[in-house]
Amino acid sequence: MPTTSRVYVKVSIIYLGVGAVLGALLLINRWTPLGSWVLALKVSHVEFLIAGWLTQLILGVAWWLFPPLKIGLRSGEPRAVRRGQAQRGSEPLFWATFACLNLGILLRGIFEPLYVWTRLGTFQVFAALSGLFLLAGAITFVLNMWNRIRALGKD
Amino acid sequence: MPAIARTYVKAAFLYFIAAFLLGALMTLNTWLGFSRWLRVVYLSQLHLLVVGWITQLAIGVAYWIFPRFRKQQATTPRGSDALAWGVFLSLNAGLLLRFFIEPFHLIGPQPWLAALLSLAGILQAAAALGFGWLVWGRVRSME
Repeated sequence: MPTTSRVYVKVSIIYLGVGAVLGALLLINRWTPLGSWVLALKVSHVEFLIAGWLTQLILGVAWWLFPPLKIGLRSGEPRAVRRGQAQRGSEPLFWATFACLNLGILLRGIFEPLYVWTRLGTFQVFAALSGLFLLAGAITFVLNMWNRIRALGKD
Repeated sequence: MPAIARTYVKAAFLYFIAAFLLGALMTLNTWLGFSRWLRVVYLSQLHLLVVGWITQLAIGVAYWIFPRFRKQQATTPRGSDALAWGVFLSLNAGLLLRFFIEPFHLIGPQPWLAALLSLAGILQAAAALGFGWLVWGRVRSME
């Protein structure tokens, strides 16, 4: 498993643990009221599990296991254009996806409850920007992976 | 595919069917209105899909395909079988407990129902942490 995928998968496992603990807190709050502040954590619970855990795990495993890009042999040229990790696509772009995705998740998961608790407009702006980062993460991932969705041949 | 992974994946498939069946009944119920219970089962159905189907499938497949431990790291290549079964039992006990209890709690809240819901949450959180513990060392390079 390449380093990039390992980072994605380990971060996704952390989100699974945190998201599940938040879910347990929400359920415990129905039995033993911990305070109204707990209800604001519902957004973080959903965000951490859907985007942080499931989506991030899928992206990390897809980068690891999807068919590699064609090595780019050109007629008359003996050397391949792409070899090794380069056959997975652009690694800097994949790190950019990671940054966008996690910035989006953390902005939403942290600042949305903070806004509910404090009503500070700055927190609302941070939470509102999260969607743009998530969108950027999705677009960069799809662009990077598009050509790897292909039949495996001799190339 | 090892037996534990097969069990995870087959259980995930059953939740997939159950959740979609429930979803079909819920949509029919909005038209025909034959069950009050189906009006309060929305959150439970969502958790059947996200936890029972997608998360359980992801855990089962991860347990199967992630790089195995090196021989000097562990006696079993995929980690502790007991922990893997414990995660399975904890996840499904928590999920099913929630599924059966939550609609009744929403219809008529009772402290003992809320206590069982808390237990359901704790079981699922324990499963999540147990899974992290189980596979953390296997998220490594293949060399």
